[in-house]
Amino acid sequence: MALLTFDSVDLGYGTQIVLPALTLTLEAGERVALLGQSGAGKSTLLAEIRRRLGKAAAWCPQGHGLVPLLSVYHNVYMGQLERHAALANLFNLLRPRRGAWQAIETLTHELGLEGLLRRPVEQLSGGQRQRVAIARAFYQQREIFLGDEPLASVDPHQALRLLERIQTRHSSSIIALHQHRLALAYFDRIIGLRDGHVVLDAPARELTLSQLDALYPDAGNSSHEDRAATTT
Amino acid sequence: MSAAPGLLRGKSPGLTLARRSLALILLCLLLLPFADLRVIAVDPWGELWRMAQGFAWPDFLALENPLRAIALTVSVALWGTFIGALVGFPLALLFHHSRLIRGFCAFVRAIHELFWALLFIQVFGLSAVTALAALAIPYAGIFAKVYAEILELTPRAPTDALPNGVDRLSRFLYAELPLVWDRLASYTRYRFECAMRASVLLGFVGLPTLGFYLESAFRESRFGEAGALLWIFYALIATLQWWGHRRLLPVLLIGALFFLGPWPEVDSDLLWRFVSHDLWPAPLLDGDLAGLGEWVTSLPDLLPAIGNTLLLALMGTVGSLILALVLWPLASRHFGRPWQRVGGRLVLVVLRSTPELMLAFIFLLMLGPSMLPAWLALALHNGALIAFLVARHADGLKTGMTDLPATGRYAYELLPRLYPNLLALICYRAEVIMRETALLGMLGVATLGFYIDSSFQYLMFDQAFFLLLVTAVLNIGIDAISRRFRPREVPLDDPCSR
Repeated sequence: MALLTFDSVDLGYGTQIVLPALTLTLEAGERVALLGQSGAGKSTLLAEIRRRLGKAAAWCPQGHGLVPLLSVYHNVYMGQLERHAALANLFNLLRPRRGAWQAIETLTHELGLEGLLRRPVEQLSGGQRQRVAIARAFYQQREIFLGDEPLASVDPHQALRLLERIQTRHSSSIIALHQHRLALAYFDRIIGLRDGHVVLDAPARELTLSQLDALYPDAGNSSHEDRAATTT
Repeated sequence: MSAAPGLLRGKSPGLTLARRSLALILLCLLLLPFADLRVIAVDPWGELWRMAQGFAWPDFLALENPLRAIALTVSVALWGTFIGALVGFPLALLFHHSRLIRGFCAFVRAIHELFWALLFIQVFGLSAVTALAALAIPYAGIFAKVYAEILELTPRAPTDALPNGVDRLSRFLYAELPLVWDRLASYTRYRFECAMRASVLLGFVGLPTLGFYLESAFRESRFGEAGALLWIFYALIATLQWWGHRRLLPVLLIGALFFLGPWPEVDSDLLWRFVSHDLWPAPLLDGDLAGLGEWVTSLPDLLPAIGNTLLLALMGTVGSLILALVLWPLASRHFGRPWQRVGGRLVLVVLRSTPELMLAFIFLLMLGPSMLPAWLALALHNGALIAFLVARHADGLKTGMTDLPATGRYAYELLPRLYPNLLALICYRAEVIMRETALLGMLGVATLGFYIDSSFQYLMFDQAFFLLLVTAVLNIGIDAISRRFRPREVPLDDPCSR
């Protein structure tokens, strides 16, 4: 069953077109990896997918989008902000709701953030912030997970564990990332973007590492993970 | 081979700014002969010596009950700032949506705290209401503007990360307010420091804060007592970070309520008569247009007063510019030895902590009533304030060539990077200087403030109110001009310069 269909659509911001004449179909139940250099159009595509899916998709943005002054609990709670009345949200800032507290405590346990619930996000390490951002996306409790480089600031070992969690909790996932081995091993389908065009779209099992590396002509020998970290 | 370009020729941004600044300085020099800069006092240096003695050997025992004055000064500053912030915050949320609110805020902050005090004294007498309203009303306008500017710079990422359909209030509380909270708080803290100075100044119109005792001690040449009061004030400012700690604020606010007073008995008929009748020219209320012409001719000759006000503002701005250029290396880590820097920083802090009116008053006693003391006070206070901010900015910079001589470091490494910012600060400050210029009239300098003060003294409220409006319009005009003159794209905009 098709989740989304783009039929020769121009995507961009305002009058600036980033992805011209995009044709693409995304299936429900698929695990899709989006690859491509910074500026290839991944974020534009994800933003449009997010807009079309609306409340069906959980969203984990690039650069986390966390609020440094608020605690881990409040940042995760923001995933369900729209489900409560304004006054309830206001009161929750002063005194956490019991049910939400317990649910979020379980979630953060699962992601290795135990004992940090009251800690302001500004005091966390980069990897911990990344996991808070993922916890917030989990807390939205949606069918589909949309992530713009949600694994950019964690080590390869953790990235693998987090990816497994993401995929067990969501029936579909569309994730932009830079880790090619992960993309090959843990996704059903890989879409490669370059300069606003889809230059690669195939089942992951049919692809090899060198085919993926060809998406990054400027990179030379530098590691993709390093560059991903500097862009976030 | 090409010839080297002539003096100040070229298109680099540095040269543009240099040409602009030199033009400003030149304009000031050309107009300087029109300013009254006589030294009228007989023995200025002797007077200065006696003041310095009083400052060096303060006579704390001569003070009667200074604690009450201190408590009242702090209480008025606290509650004035608090009420101002409470009113200013909602206004800030609407600031960019409503031209009416922007105009209202520009108007209330264009009139100096002391003039508001003079206005309210007519209705509420020498009471806590007068003191609080005098601070809270202009501060509400200032808070609205600065808070709105800070809120405008809220990072967008957390808002974009929110799920769809979050209501406006929740969005604001979770994804906007916490991101700018620190900046809002630090600006409020700076404003509180200004409120402390303003609260002292309220003593000059008769409210029994520290300024009241300071003024009488100076006037009656009891310099030991004056020195003691000044020391107390500096100590209060210097220890602000401890006694004004965030956690102590609720206690302070509640405690302050016990020291505020007296509370006036408001006669509502009188109040209404004042607002609806006394403030307006009688012919206007009667609909008598011919009479209105007569009323206008009965005004004091405004053009010289306006000219003096503008001239003093220009002189004050140029003086601050030159002093800031000279003074900032005193407090910067790039120059001098550590002990010299401590001294330099101390001088700057003392100069910027002393209320301008106080400085002017001291110079006035020394030099006699002319524009000179006012000029000195404006230039010293504002120049030191800007020098301090510039030094802080300079300390964050790294120089590329380490072994340049000091003049080379100043002229080639640091000043080119600091100057756009310095000039921007001067432009922000021009509005403040303008407001203070009018105020200095209360000391006898023939600016608009002089006529406002005397109109209030002769109970000609319609005339005083009209002059206040003129002052406000002038201020708003100067603000608009300085905004055009200000260099764009400055790296550091510190709201604590306004």
